Amino acid sequence: MDLKTEVLIIGGGATGAGIARDLALRGIPSLLVEKGDFTSGASGRNQGLLHSGARYAVTDPEAARECISENRILRRIAPHCIEPTEGLFVSLPEDGPEYRSDFIRACGKAGIDALPLSPREALALEPRLNSRIIGAVQVPDGAVDPFMLVVENARDAESRGTRFLIHTEVTGLIRDGLRIAGARVRDRITGEAYAIAATWVINATGAWANLILGMVGLKIGLALSKGSMLITNTRLSERVLNRCRPPSSGDIIVPNDTVSILGTTSLRAEDLEHYTVTPEEVTFLVDELSRMIPDVKGERFTRAYAGVRPLLQLGEACDDRAISRGFALIDHGSCDGIEGLVTITGGKLMTYRLMAERTVDFLCERMGLHVPCLTHVQRLPGAGLGNALKDRLLHLRRQTPAARGEILCDCELVPREAVDAILREGKVRELQDILHRTRLAKGTCQGGFCVYRLLGLLNELRKAEGSGGSNVVLRGFLEERWKGIRPVLWGTSLKEEELIESIYKGLFNLAPEEPGRPGGGEA
Amino acid sequence: MKRFDLIVIGTGLSGLTAARTAVDMGAKVLIAGWGMGALTLFGNTIDLLGEVPPETDMAEGITSWIAAHPEHPYARTGMAGIENALTDFQGLFPPPYSFAALGSGNSLLPTGAGTMRPTYLIPVTMAAGAAMTPPGTLIVGFRGFKDFQGDTVSLHLKCRGVSLSLPRYGLEGLTALALARLMDEPSFRERLGESIRLQMAGERFIGLPAVLGFRNPAVVLKTLEEITGARVFEIPMLPPSIPGTRIFHHFREMLISKGATFLMGHPASRAKVKDGRCEGITVQNPPLATQYRADSYILATGRFLGGGLWAEMERIVEPLFHLPVFQPGERGKWFGERFFDPKAHPIHRAGIVTDADLRPVDETGRVVLENVHVAGSILAHHQAIEEKSREGIDIATGFLAAKRALAL
Repeated sequence: MDLKTEVLIIGGGATGAGIARDLALRGIPSLLVEKGDFTSGASGRNQGLLHSGARYAVTDPEAARECISENRILRRIAPHCIEPTEGLFVSLPEDGPEYRSDFIRACGKAGIDALPLSPREALALEPRLNSRIIGAVQVPDGAVDPFMLVVENARDAESRGTRFLIHTEVTGLIRDGLRIAGARVRDRITGEAYAIAATWVINATGAWANLILGMVGLKIGLALSKGSMLITNTRLSERVLNRCRPPSSGDIIVPNDTVSILGTTSLRAEDLEHYTVTPEEVTFLVDELSRMIPDVKGERFTRAYAGVRPLLQLGEACDDRAISRGFALIDHGSCDGIEGLVTITGGKLMTYRLMAERTVDFLCERMGLHVPCLTHVQRLPGAGLGNALKDRLLHLRRQTPAARGEILCDCELVPREAVDAILREGKVRELQDILHRTRLAKGTCQGGFCVYRLLGLLNELRKAEGSGGSNVVLRGFLEERWKGIRPVLWGTSLKEEELIESIYKGLFNLAPEEPGRPGGGEA
Repeated sequence: MKRFDLIVIGTGLSGLTAARTAVDMGAKVLIAGWGMGALTLFGNTIDLLGEVPPETDMAEGITSWIAAHPEHPYARTGMAGIENALTDFQGLFPPPYSFAALGSGNSLLPTGAGTMRPTYLIPVTMAAGAAMTPPGTLIVGFRGFKDFQGDTVSLHLKCRGVSLSLPRYGLEGLTALALARLMDEPSFRERLGESIRLQMAGERFIGLPAVLGFRNPAVVLKTLEEITGARVFEIPMLPPSIPGTRIFHHFREMLISKGATFLMGHPASRAKVKDGRCEGITVQNPPLATQYRADSYILATGRFLGGGLWAEMERIVEPLFHLPVFQPGERGKWFGERFFDPKAHPIHRAGIVTDADLRPVDETGRVVLENVHVAGSILAHHQAIEEKSREGIDIATGFLAAKRALAL
């Protein structure tokens, strides 16, 4: 099976999906390949913060202006992916009043609404804040669901003819003299290998950019920075809480649905596929963020995770092509003499749309097309539909128990019907895909109970066949889950872990795959 | 203030066994606990040591295990101590609902994940599971009962499975507890037997989730076997455990009938300690806090799940007596890198270290509290989850702790 397209996009993060949508709205055919599921990279491993830009106002006014502009656009085009929580920049005594004054002035210059609050006003809004605060500033921060945002971009593009191939990995770029003419790919589930011919190849792989470029002997200056985050079991605040001090580690708490996300650390990463959250990072985040909300110390954490940010370190040769301090669009034709290949990397979730716009503007210019960008005015397909926590709970309340049917996940109230609907769509290819598309396994037990039930459902639908039965899938899930919970195992989380181990290793006798164990695990 | 011969703290299998042993010795006993213990979560059969291969004689297997694991709780009780305690346990469950080993060693029973699992003493309602042959077995699940996935079990056991609909009972209320209560009703189990019979295609064995009633599981079993003409067995599944709850209720009723004071839902919140002896405990029943005293005390509060141990961010503590706890190193080393690490996670070795009489000791081996004995999974140097030794440790050390406590 060989395929052909005008533009081949590599990478199913926010940038790739954004480019696919932008191209589709301008009538240019494209195809996107992603080696995992959507948002497998940094797009799915961040704090889910809808930046107001205030964080950059003092240190990087240009980035601040970009952020507030995109913030306003996203509220318009993707209201269903956003919880407009507002945000506070909180000054502790050690942060001092000087930075706060600079901060308010800089926000004004960047066009960010910044409302100064007295300690009493701030504590009335967020009672769990440290009572020693000396002041706060309210800014238009919010929370965004990155997975939903990316899937919505993809859905819109798909309805306009774009094809998306997930779990499909690029194994090589096809070279035709000094041109890149497409890519060789492999389906990671079936193993099938084939070629995709394209006039343009867009490398939107973020931190993986050099992996693709290395296939044709190219390289850009990219440093990798690991950022770790913790997820609490409850929602600590209504608003995003930031420390009002120069940007540093451990300075933000973002509410997300029923939980909060504590961030972030910043450590150099060497390996893109294998990195963990260290005990030191966890201790640091808990200590540091308990200064802002003292209750953080006693809070139960359900999971830790890390993402790898691509940080640009462009050399002299390509500096002029960096169109913003935050991200870079590199045309390897003019930069390296290899035509038909463009890399877009750096940046942040907040600017994904702008990055896509600049990329497609460039392609249009090279194609000689004069079609304006529409992504900042055309709303995403689901805009107008409610999907927030409040709507989910209201929906459940309105239903009678009989109509609600079977609830698979008791922590997050995911009905069996929601999973059935996703399976009916026929796009998911493995267990993790289902977990990405529902709130299954995102609650307190992190899937300890509902995954057993989900596997029953998969078996019933004969979806788990061909992989040696679902206990292979179950083992795989438990290992994946382990990466997230192992760093936060103390207190109540550790109690829960004893329960889960007692079920799967004790009661069900699932063992490491080793021959000769009594009972042998599998019958 | 009421005065007892022995106060047992913890109402799991080790505490129940200790209280029962003491009551049988004529002691005046108080048993107090926060909840029903791990018994009602995972207690199905009585594991002794799953590590012993099924073809090996259990006494031989454990004797050589003790030789290789001198710090293990079984090294404190010895094989003879285990055997005495087990005989005592079995005596508490006379037929028809009795527990027995099916041979001289472990037997393999099917689980709710479709795996086979080694165990030792098996209740009569599960015994046929060890004899079943996949082609002649039918696995029966219930539509809407999500904690037993019959399709998963039958797929892995390579036998046939069916899901029965119980339309008149709805989907919402279909929990293990609800099913077990329904099974206690003769009309329900008779109708169920008929529904199963209609689905059969010559099978000689029928596997059901472990929900065959609270009151008379052996009668439920007999009814189903008579109607279907096949041998029926229960399959252990996700918590809560109905078979474990049966064990709990049986102990509780027996203890109360023999005059023990049984306090449920009341955690022992404080212990009064003076000159190396416990002089009383405070039991919280808000707004009341009542003090109780005894000559001896048995600490059987379980591990993390039971509340016997608590993991602070940097170390493991025992919250009631603040006993020295064997530590598994710094937090980063508590757990292995993989969930299914070939070796058990180091934290499972954490717990209370004791002398030969099960009295808690410090790092130097000095007894910390003269009149406190420690029993059950809170003890250090076992790996009950991996070894499959949970109930064996509970019963053997609970029995020994009571004997030693009353010998003072």
